[in-house]
Amino acid sequence: MNKHKFSRLALYVFLSISAFVSLFPFYWMLVSSTNSTADINSGKLSFGSSLMENLTKLNTQVDLGLVFYNTSKIAILSTVFTLIISSMAGYGFEVYKSRNRDKVYNALLLTMMIPFAALMIPLFTMMAKANLLDTHFAVMLPTIASVFIVFYFRQCTKVFPKELIDAARVDGVKEWRIFVFVYWPVMRSTYAAAFIIVFMTSWNAFLWPLIVLQSAELKTINLVLSSLSSAYFPDFGVIMVGTVVATIPTLAVFFAMQKQFVAGMTGSVK
Amino acid sequence: MTHAMVKGIVATAVGFSMAGAVAQATELSVWAWDPNFNVAIMNEAGERYTAMHSDVTVKVEDTAKDSLEQKLHTSLASGMTKTLPDIVLIEDYNAQKYLQAYPGAFAAMEKVVDYSSFAPYKVDVMTIGDSVYGIPFDTGVTGMYYRTDILADAGFTAEDLQDITWERFIEIGKVVKEKTGKEMLGNDPNDPGLIRVMMQSAGSWYFDKDGNVDIKNNAALKESLELIRDMTKSGIARPTMGWSEWVGTVNSGQVASITTGVWITGSVKSNPDQSGLWAVAPTPRLTVEGATQTSNLGGSSWYVLNSSENKDAAIAFLNEIYTQDKEFYQKILVDRGAVGSYLGAGEGAAYQTEDAFFAGQKVYSDFSDWTAQIPKVNYGMYTYEADAALSAQLPALLQGTDVDTVLERIEQQLKNQIQ
Repeated sequence: MNKHKFSRLALYVFLSISAFVSLFPFYWMLVSSTNSTADINSGKLSFGSSLMENLTKLNTQVDLGLVFYNTSKIAILSTVFTLIISSMAGYGFEVYKSRNRDKVYNALLLTMMIPFAALMIPLFTMMAKANLLDTHFAVMLPTIASVFIVFYFRQCTKVFPKELIDAARVDGVKEWRIFVFVYWPVMRSTYAAAFIIVFMTSWNAFLWPLIVLQSAELKTINLVLSSLSSAYFPDFGVIMVGTVVATIPTLAVFFAMQKQFVAGMTGSVK
Repeated sequence: MTHAMVKGIVATAVGFSMAGAVAQATELSVWAWDPNFNVAIMNEAGERYTAMHSDVTVKVEDTAKDSLEQKLHTSLASGMTKTLPDIVLIEDYNAQKYLQAYPGAFAAMEKVVDYSSFAPYKVDVMTIGDSVYGIPFDTGVTGMYYRTDILADAGFTAEDLQDITWERFIEIGKVVKEKTGKEMLGNDPNDPGLIRVMMQSAGSWYFDKDGNVDIKNNAALKESLELIRDMTKSGIARPTMGWSEWVGTVNSGQVASITTGVWITGSVKSNPDQSGLWAVAPTPRLTVEGATQTSNLGGSSWYVLNSSENKDAAIAFLNEIYTQDKEFYQKILVDRGAVGSYLGAGEGAAYQTEDAFFAGQKVYSDFSDWTAQIPKVNYGMYTYEADAALSAQLPALLQGTDVDTVLERIEQQLKNQIQ
């Protein structure tokens, strides 16, 4: 009994420490967004009164409306396209049998091993030759065929009841209609989970947008935040408010789809 | 043809020709990284130029320094230079890396620009063979900022600090510590900045004139490391972590001095309560051969891309403002605290102003004089890699490892990394 209590206590202590470690940076970000740079530098850990001042400064330095429009446009469009293209691929790999299917699939998976740094320059050259540099299209294009999402959809499709497809085929439903009207509704939570993953990756993307976007009018929130922090004497209050503002949309998306996300991760077909 | 028709035709023709003139206007694009410093200064330069040449405007793109370098590397490495700007700001420590890794990428300007009007050390940074690339911009000329009141309490006058070695600096520091309880300086044990200052003051660097690694047998570096160790051991250096704590030791009055680049002036002056209590003396010197009392920390310069369609216009712009306009240098000193490496600037009114914060000392005039004397060194291609290797060994040095062993390890680590 005592031993049981002790291990429970140890568990709680461990969990509390983990919770603190993961929550503290978040807390600090919130606190810092309400403090002036001088207070942040002196290590102040309580809420201050400079929130409005920081926000006003941020708003004068950054065209928030435009930056949010750019970031949302890229995030939403690339999420939608990624979901369509990659789910089709995942579905295809699982449902249509062919001799070389797994060879192609394995080759695709292997490409996940190539670090982005190695792809960057060839990709940049491709975009330059296609005359797409400095467009939002160039930011989205390389992310749309996401191998990870293809993999994720194939894994989830494995538990999708194939009888549904057979039944539809017997009824003479065309293949694309099966995909749209049979597969989509059943896999709703898988799509939701994938939506969150892709949306967050796209919203937080930094390196690739940085390289292909040149004009200030096209920049995303992360690029703007990074240039705020590069001053020789950075204004931490403004940067923190900017970071909070940049975090809100991903939080909103996550909480709005949290239920489906958990369901999607634990297996979508009941 | 009626009179009115002629009038109409003439008006149309005039209209067209004016439209043509507008279409010919040149917009120079620039990449820089600090909205309050180099970006603002370049905007000022652009406005001054446009006022004289209405057909040229300057547009500055504010991009973080690391990001700027990443973009520049990607474009130059892929050869896709279409999206590069006309002018780009590059940090001096990194300049050779770009000039050597991408030959032909930057425009040589020695035929157009009179480089003798700039601090020689700065021109050296952008020279390869007989070609000189770029326009020197700000300098990080160093000085020893000290609190006259604290040093007076310990029995030292301004005279006692004018021409000293770092050894003497440590002795003074010990007295200050004993009599006032304050440390002589703040030092971040992870930041080799002060070591670089000491090294360059003796005309030495991690690399020799030909760019070969020169660490193991580098007398200036060895003495610098010994000094840092002694400062820490003797307790005259207050350990700090990161930039804000380091500056904090000065603003809160915990330390009696700070020796670094002129760009710290704004931070030193940020506590108005200390007005009149500060002075600036020349940087203390080493005892090795070639030791001087001037050095540099940081600084950057403007480069024109060879791929730019507006190359000639960009060079003409830089040449007119940055190498001739003394008034411009007065303005950026007053507005932004920027000390240019253009030597003629020091004669201007702003440089000759007596600063009440420094009890009437003409600090910028002193800094301007020192700028001209900064020893030339070859920053080579791998200053940051060398810095990292040095930082990794600093804890061992401070814990008592023999200096020669430390030097050997740094050289080994650096060689492993860059080969």
